[in-house]
Amino acid sequence: MKRLRLDRWTGQALVARSGACSASTPRAALRSAAVPRCAAVRSQSTSAVLQIPKDDEYYDGTDHTRFPPLERLPPRATSLPSPPPERALKSAKLAALRARLSLPDKLPLQTLARALVDASADDNPLFNNTNLAFVGQSLINYHVAEWLMCRYPRLPMDILYAAMKGYAGPASLHQVARSWGIEHAAAPGGEVDPGLLQFSMHKPGNAILGFGTRRAEADGMKKYKWRHSLSNRVIFDDDFGQVVADAAEQEKPQLLRRADTEYGNEYTRALAEAAYSTCARAVVGAIYAHTGREPVKAFVRAHVLSRTLDLSRLFAFAKATKELSLLCAREDFDPPTARLLSETGRASRTPVFVVGIFSGADKLGEAAGPSLEHARSKAAMNALKSWYLYSPGEHVRVPSDVLVEDARPWEPAYIDMGEIIGR
Amino acid sequence: MEAIVVRPAVSCCRSAVSAGPTSSRLLLNTLPTGIRQKSTSARTRRALNIPPHPSFLNANNSTGNSGPDGLRGTRRDTDQIIFNPPSSAPSVFHTPFKFLPKNDPRRRANLTSSLFASSTTIHYNATQQQSSSTSPTSMPAEQTFSPEDFPMAEGPVVLKPRHHLAKADIEEMRRLRETDPVTNSVQSLARQYQCSKLFVLMCCQAPREHQDKIKAGLEKTKERWGPRRRAAREERARREGMLRTGEL
Repeated sequence: MKRLRLDRWTGQALVARSGACSASTPRAALRSAAVPRCAAVRSQSTSAVLQIPKDDEYYDGTDHTRFPPLERLPPRATSLPSPPPERALKSAKLAALRARLSLPDKLPLQTLARALVDASADDNPLFNNTNLAFVGQSLINYHVAEWLMCRYPRLPMDILYAAMKGYAGPASLHQVARSWGIEHAAAPGGEVDPGLLQFSMHKPGNAILGFGTRRAEADGMKKYKWRHSLSNRVIFDDDFGQVVADAAEQEKPQLLRRADTEYGNEYTRALAEAAYSTCARAVVGAIYAHTGREPVKAFVRAHVLSRTLDLSRLFAFAKATKELSLLCAREDFDPPTARLLSETGRASRTPVFVVGIFSGADKLGEAAGPSLEHARSKAAMNALKSWYLYSPGEHVRVPSDVLVEDARPWEPAYIDMGEIIGR
Repeated sequence: MEAIVVRPAVSCCRSAVSAGPTSSRLLLNTLPTGIRQKSTSARTRRALNIPPHPSFLNANNSTGNSGPDGLRGTRRDTDQIIFNPPSSAPSVFHTPFKFLPKNDPRRRANLTSSLFASSTTIHYNATQQQSSSTSPTSMPAEQTFSPEDFPMAEGPVVLKPRHHLAKADIEEMRRLRETDPVTNSVQSLARQYQCSKLFVLMCCQAPREHQDKIKAGLEKTKERWGPRRRAAREERARREGMLRTGEL
């Protein structure tokens, strides 16, 4: 059992007790009065008290008694919006991140540190990751789009957009960056570790990170839900077919005000997602800037395209049977017929019908359902999905494969005539 | 052999139970050991000892063998790959042969489905099966089907448009609907002109008052619905939506 050492208790508590029962422990009260309050802060520590230089050039107004610095900071570090680049070489977190991602040595730690500074933390484009992220975003979207085009040549345009977003959208890249083990600083500043992601919880960055123009009618589209066609989306909107929105209009003042008082809300989560996805893009951009085309392609394949996305879940058909008969008419197949392959429990509460869709002697799709109508439409949907999800093979060549030296000449990829359009 | 012994015992027990329902519990309790329970490990082992799937057996021997062990057959002794997957819904990522493009290598090589067919695949095309059954690897005595063997599972019958109505007929239909929408309902007009109700709806529009009256009547009906009926209808609509998005 340990001996209680009352003299090492904090001065404040002992002073408070001394008034109440001064007669019982007069000695303790005497001691507590003798101990100065500032010394009580580190009284339980056996290490030497850190020598804090009182130089104005080094420090500016930080309470060093409460927050002693962990390392010796360069001059005026705390006045900068983001850590100075030379500190990147001493950061253990950055070195660990580079080792975890197996990044080549050609990629300097300073660039990796810059990829972790969001535009909302430091609005100077020479020190934040905007430029790297723009390059990275273009590269990721290019590689994802060309792979989807060659691997699933019959995907309709809106499914292609959804798949693009599923692979390279902000939510996915946010998860990718989190899986890399990147942590974020509570608040950006020059004194934080350069290995931490830095973004502001109070304002979104004003960096332009993609193509697409802001429509003049965007407000009306949001308010009145105006229809905008797919070809319209191809021309005006961003790489995922979504209307380009201003960063300012996403601001929600109420949530913004609460961001400091509560642990996190919808607004701060959106900011974190944007910052993390920008960081992932910036890392890709940094790899391209320092090592070139082939390593960045391998990196995108390994970290973005290797993720599992079930494309068959992206489809939704309004009139599947009609679309299937249109398809059969277009391709000169026999008109589709639905046939009951097997059934069980027709009179019971939970029957199961297995319906197949045939065109001539060939079966196009099959599905089981609790009613004949249900199974029939589901079978038609499966047939349409297997049409749209045709793939030439698992390991298709993409156009960027011919950019390497002594590559085989390019054979034209399969181009489909287009999706089925109802008349 | 055990099954043969057991089944008459079960049936006679059942008949005894059905004969005297009042004393059924008593009867079951007092019955002698007619039913062989899996009380011992030997009986359990024997009960679980079911013959293997035919694809695991040697095809040539099992057909000729008529001895007491004929059901069991013999294990395959040659080096063969046994592919016997569990039955499951077909994947949409396996493109049907008909959907392959003209220049696809799978089509060029004429790798028909019989080559890749598993033991559980039903062959729909009888002629294809016959041509491939000459190869020694095909399954013996497998039943062949053609699509015509299965009953049709078509949805509601959609009549083909006959295009028999002239412009004057449509004008007349509109006039009738405009003057008296109650007697000239959509259904009666469709019957009168021998066209679909959809076509009547495409041609004519009832007067505003009539539409409002119908709408008010519908609202009144909906007000009478209780929570159960409302919830059931909502759930049905939700199920339809889930079916379209592939969640169901």
